[in-house]
Amino acid sequence: MNARIQRVRSTGPLVSRIVAALFGGYALAALSSVAVLALPLSKPQAVLTGMLASFAIYTAAVVWVFAVRNALKAWAGLTIVAAALLPLAWSVS
Amino acid sequence: MNSDNDQRVAGRGIRQTMSSLHTWTGLLLGWILYAMFLTGTVSYFKDELSQWMRPELARLSEIPDQAVVAQRIADEFGKTLAGASQWSMRLPDARNNSVYAFWRTSARSPGQRGFGEAYFDPATGGKVTSRETLGGDFFYRFHFQFHYMPVVWGRWIAGAAAMFMLVAIVSGVITHKKIFVDFFTFRWGRRQRSWLDAHNALAVFGLPFHLMITYTGLVTLMALYMPWGERVAFKTPAERQQLAAELSAFIPPGKPSGQNVPLASVEEMVRQAQERWGRDQVGRVNAVHPGDAAARVAVTRGDPGRVSMSPQYLEFEGATGKLLAVRENVGGAAETRGVFYALHLGRFSDTVTRWLYFLVSFMGTAMVGTGLVMWTVKRRQQLPDPDRPYFGFRLVERLNIAGIAGLSVAMTAFLWGNRLLPHPLEGRAELEIHLFFIVWALTLLHALARPARSAWVEQLWAASVLLSLLPVLNAMTTQRPLWHSLAEGDWIFAGMDIMCWALAWLHAALAMRTARQSAVSPSRSKANRRAPVTVASSEGAG
Amino acid sequence: MSHLLAFALCLAGFAALAFAVHRQQRDIFGRSLPLATTWVLRVLGACALLLALGVLVAWHGWSLGLVMFSGHTSLVSGIVYCMLVGYSRIRPRALPRSAPR
Repeated sequence: MNARIQRVRSTGPLVSRIVAALFGGYALAALSSVAVLALPLSKPQAVLTGMLASFAIYTAAVVWVFAVRNALKAWAGLTIVAAALLPLAWSVS
Repeated sequence: MNSDNDQRVAGRGIRQTMSSLHTWTGLLLGWILYAMFLTGTVSYFKDELSQWMRPELARLSEIPDQAVVAQRIADEFGKTLAGASQWSMRLPDARNNSVYAFWRTSARSPGQRGFGEAYFDPATGGKVTSRETLGGDFFYRFHFQFHYMPVVWGRWIAGAAAMFMLVAIVSGVITHKKIFVDFFTFRWGRRQRSWLDAHNALAVFGLPFHLMITYTGLVTLMALYMPWGERVAFKTPAERQQLAAELSAFIPPGKPSGQNVPLASVEEMVRQAQERWGRDQVGRVNAVHPGDAAARVAVTRGDPGRVSMSPQYLEFEGATGKLLAVRENVGGAAETRGVFYALHLGRFSDTVTRWLYFLVSFMGTAMVGTGLVMWTVKRRQQLPDPDRPYFGFRLVERLNIAGIAGLSVAMTAFLWGNRLLPHPLEGRAELEIHLFFIVWALTLLHALARPARSAWVEQLWAASVLLSLLPVLNAMTTQRPLWHSLAEGDWIFAGMDIMCWALAWLHAALAMRTARQSAVSPSRSKANRRAPVTVASSEGAG
Repeated sequence: MSHLLAFALCLAGFAALAFAVHRQQRDIFGRSLPLATTWVLRVLGACALLLALGVLVAWHGWSLGLVMFSGHTSLVSGIVYCMLVGYSRIRPRALPRSAPR
């Protein structure tokens, strides 16, 4: 019974993590692929660099989301990185 | 080693979390991944498979002069495709005995089709009259866009599966940090262990390949998956063309002048390319507005011998044959993408490297398969009532049977269909494909109807029998039986026959192993509940 | 030709590396080999693998050579693994395995 309650209580954070991994991870990868445009590269090369690296960033984000101790920390991590990338992405758009 | 029992334990360490992540990312799209892996693996021999599936088309004992062939086909186009706004032909090479071409016609009347494609005989220039089939291209296309759905959907599903695979690989490596230390201390142990051992072994041996193939697979379609940078960066079509030129042999689509001028000698153009890259190193010839004064022709370099798919081409003025531009370099990021692309497709390979690709990729397929089976093997031990497992267990168990053994049956049935369906027949190519899916669906029904073990054994035997009789069918229905192809030195047909037998043997071995295990299983599962440890350790000898 | 040479070198290299593992030594020779021998095996194995890479790169250039090397090592490590498994099955172990069935 105890395990069952535990399980119900753990479902919420788990769903939150899955959302963070699937969508938060993709959003972060997409954001980084735009932020790369701020690098001093020619436009086509910068665009391709962003695309090439995005899957590694997505993977790292997913691993991060599940590796940290709780769901809140998972979201916080994604948010901090996103906050750092946002000005860069803003500057090129 | 890792176990999912810990799932309920709060505050788990990173290795347990990663283990769960590995288990679930691996399982959820596992059957799609398995199908992508297996059809992708056979796609390393897609050109050979296409030749086998068009047996009417004679083998090329030597590669014809590409310049002559290009002129011959271009002349044919000049006669039959006068209104084409663009055409493109892939010249014959060591692996292709036909010329594949596609074209676009500027739709002048509403009913006109805008796009066409066909295979041409390099010797005559006419369309090939072989049976209508998609050939090896069916497996190739299926492995990244599936079928019966819009191409873009299929590609998104494939991308999701590849992303899951990438996460499964990384989390698997984190879970089993020690696999590199343990490299040669794996043991073929108890039954549950032996699946785990096989899975681990296959994962470690092919790890560079698995990582490479998954990542590069995503890269091949990255413009679809990650279009955001492109959308932000490029505002005008001209800018977008700049990017396109980095990725393929791209001729800017200028306006036709409206003044008819026949195409200059294509043979001369290809000749110049041959001097530059070597006799059989020309890949394609593309023409825009052929027959117009503003025509442009691009002669591109073929894939063999260079680990890059970045465009290399000569651009000619169509009307005069004057060399306008030589393009052999792209930017750093574009070249990285070109190398990744080439690594995924492996078209640069010589025969030995192609076989290495095939075998290691086959190991990857087996890794996904063993992983799927392991999910049920691990959980079977812990079932409260082994005779009536819960729904999720039964679902995975049955999907495994149809997804793994059933796919072998369906793929072989596709080849049987190629030999048995009459020719000519309206919509024949599409019928072959329907047959593949019908058989696959039947294997799923069979897997649902029969007890799991029997279903495994029966489907594995079915695949084995179909595979072993395919060379016989080939001997009966074509002019190219094994003895003939061996005598002729026709290694594509001979190799196909021999591979069928090798795979038939593999399926038979798996079937016998599964049957043997199921013969001892009832007593085992009873004893199991009593004393799991002793039973588990006595299974190793089997 | 370069493929055959590289394949043989990889096979030798991985076999040497496998023999440098104590567990395999106990299984195959029935005892651990001296530490010095183990180190020699390790170095020999690494050298054979590097040599295989050298052969392939010299013959085919870096890009193709690395791809081929990766293929050969993946395949050969699988083969060596299967050989070890097969050997341990054919030959009864020195240690009693477990309770009889």
